[in-house]
Amino acid sequence: MNIMKNSMTSSTATTKKTRAQTISHRTQALCALCAGLLAALAVLSLFTGKYPLSLGKLLEGNALQRRIFLNLRVSRTIVGVAGGFVLGVSGFVYQTLFRNPLASPDIIGVSSGASAGAAAGILLFSGQTAGTGQAAAATQSAIAAQTAVAVCAFGGALSAVAVVLALSALDRTGKNSSIVLAGIAVHALAQTALMCLKLTADPERELASIEFWIMGSLSGISIHSLGGNLLLCLFCLTSLFLLHRHIIILSGEEGEVRMLGVSVGKLRLLVLVTATLAVSAVISLTGLISFIGLLAPHGARLFTRDNRPGAMLLGGLMGGILLLGADILARSVTSVELPVSIFTSLLGAPFLIILIVRKGKV
Amino acid sequence: MFVPFAIFSGIDAEDGMTGSVKRFSHAVKGRLYMTFFSVNTLSAGYGRKRILEDISFSLDRGCLLGILGANGSGKTTLLKALCSLLPHEGSCILEGTALEKCSPRQMARLCGYIPQRSGIALDISALDVVLMGFHSHLGLLERPTAAMKAQACRTLAAVGLAGKEGDNYQTLSEGQKQLCILARTLCTGSRLLFLDEPESALDFGHRHRMLELLLDWMRETHGAAVVSLHDPFLALNYCHRLLILSEGRILGCISPKTDSPKQMEALLARIYGQVSLVSCRKRDGGRRLVMLKEDASSPAALN
Repeated sequence: MNIMKNSMTSSTATTKKTRAQTISHRTQALCALCAGLLAALAVLSLFTGKYPLSLGKLLEGNALQRRIFLNLRVSRTIVGVAGGFVLGVSGFVYQTLFRNPLASPDIIGVSSGASAGAAAGILLFSGQTAGTGQAAAATQSAIAAQTAVAVCAFGGALSAVAVVLALSALDRTGKNSSIVLAGIAVHALAQTALMCLKLTADPERELASIEFWIMGSLSGISIHSLGGNLLLCLFCLTSLFLLHRHIIILSGEEGEVRMLGVSVGKLRLLVLVTATLAVSAVISLTGLISFIGLLAPHGARLFTRDNRPGAMLLGGLMGGILLLGADILARSVTSVELPVSIFTSLLGAPFLIILIVRKGKV
Repeated sequence: MFVPFAIFSGIDAEDGMTGSVKRFSHAVKGRLYMTFFSVNTLSAGYGRKRILEDISFSLDRGCLLGILGANGSGKTTLLKALCSLLPHEGSCILEGTALEKCSPRQMARLCGYIPQRSGIALDISALDVVLMGFHSHLGLLERPTAAMKAQACRTLAAVGLAGKEGDNYQTLSEGQKQLCILARTLCTGSRLLFLDEPESALDFGHRHRMLELLLDWMRETHGAAVVSLHDPFLALNYCHRLLILSEGRILGCISPKTDSPKQMEALLARIYGQVSLVSCRKRDGGRRLVMLKEDASSPAALN
């Protein structure tokens, strides 16, 4: 009897071990696959757009081609890859932290705060660019206005989140749900502010650019205004990967987690602020981008059935693929450039449905 | 039995009784060095609703204290209040340290807590769940060391989950989940454990194994544990003492080894209705107490 039991446990032990190994192998293989796909899309993105570029002419040193390549395409591709990656990883973090598969930056008011901030920025700064005569000066001031709008959006996002966290701190039990409730309240307030700003906007130019900003686009992001945001994203992403162990622990029940020695409130604040900074840095440049923060982590989880750092990385890579793919479509489907969110949703919705159906089967 | 706990006897030494003793000695004058853990006039509740009134008891090293009570008698509330998850009046003092004043990190090193149901809802491996137990020994950016992983594997094996390290925690059965959480708690290196119905999802064999494990752990680390139980057989035969809780008050205390069956029956009857205790012998001669439910209207119950 005893011998039988022993042999049984040892045989299950070996099969389980191989299963665990296959999970991590599968994650690695998926990460490699997605990284390859992302690299291919990045190359495609460099050579897609209104003005046809060719590798031969670029290497020959054609000045116009070079300028377009360096000023427009490279920055656009970088934003696509980095932005998608940030949205994917931070979506993973939000979903884990709030134990909610639908959690996204919206839940703590990031996106509505950013929209209101951007609208205010457009109203305040875009008017100044109109009167300038010379072409060089006009582009200069356009870049300045764009930077100003980005700064306003960033400020709007952060102040919305600050208000949410301050409000939730009033509830002394410090529960997750109080953050979510405060987030809903601030989201509503920011939407109201946005509506008021829209009412005062000049419908021909300002209202249009507010609407366009809200729909999101990777176009016209100058490489010179990119550095700070990229550095911030890099710093936040590194921190999030280093804090991965804590993020996983925070997904547990409050009391249980506290008894493991976690200062729940402080740690949650640290993780939330880090993820939010990264998201704000991205959407202040691109405008709102729907669905990626929700979809990419789900994809990563369903493919790997795992929550190790590898799955978080895969979420980021999938986010990059989705955003870059959507952006390539946005500028190649019609002669006019379309908002990128149309395509993130268009790619995202069927993908989500496929994932759910697959999950049901397996 | 397997001895997985030896590694922790060293960790305990650092935050012993120095310093904190002076600050809180007024609360436990005289009894300071005699009792390991003492609870003094504890009252607690949710919002304005009082659940617990005036709870006091003390616990020595190596004592397994069971809490018996009907549903809704305040067992879970008491355990939550003991580990300061619930604001309360009164004090809980572990070797001179008031638990109310501890930071979460200190708290985790001093005592472990197993809730009725763990809230882990992610796909993570059983090994990763157990490794969470080392959190209070790791800095912000530190990762569990190889020694900790080996320790976690040994503890998993000790609770009967050998070879399940890589398994997805979500695919384990409820009982296996509970064993996994027990392994995690044993890894925290704490000296006092609070367990809320740890046996509720376990089968017959594992129930006994869990309590044997607890007793082994206490022998090994000279710790103590407070366990709320529903199974009177386990309570009467494994626990050194039993608190009888009813409507948030302690009705009395039972020492199953020494008290007379009549005394115990009288106390148990106040929470379970008419019962009788029967003493049986195992094949190896060991005595076991079995509790039988008596029909309230039968004449035998009236004696």
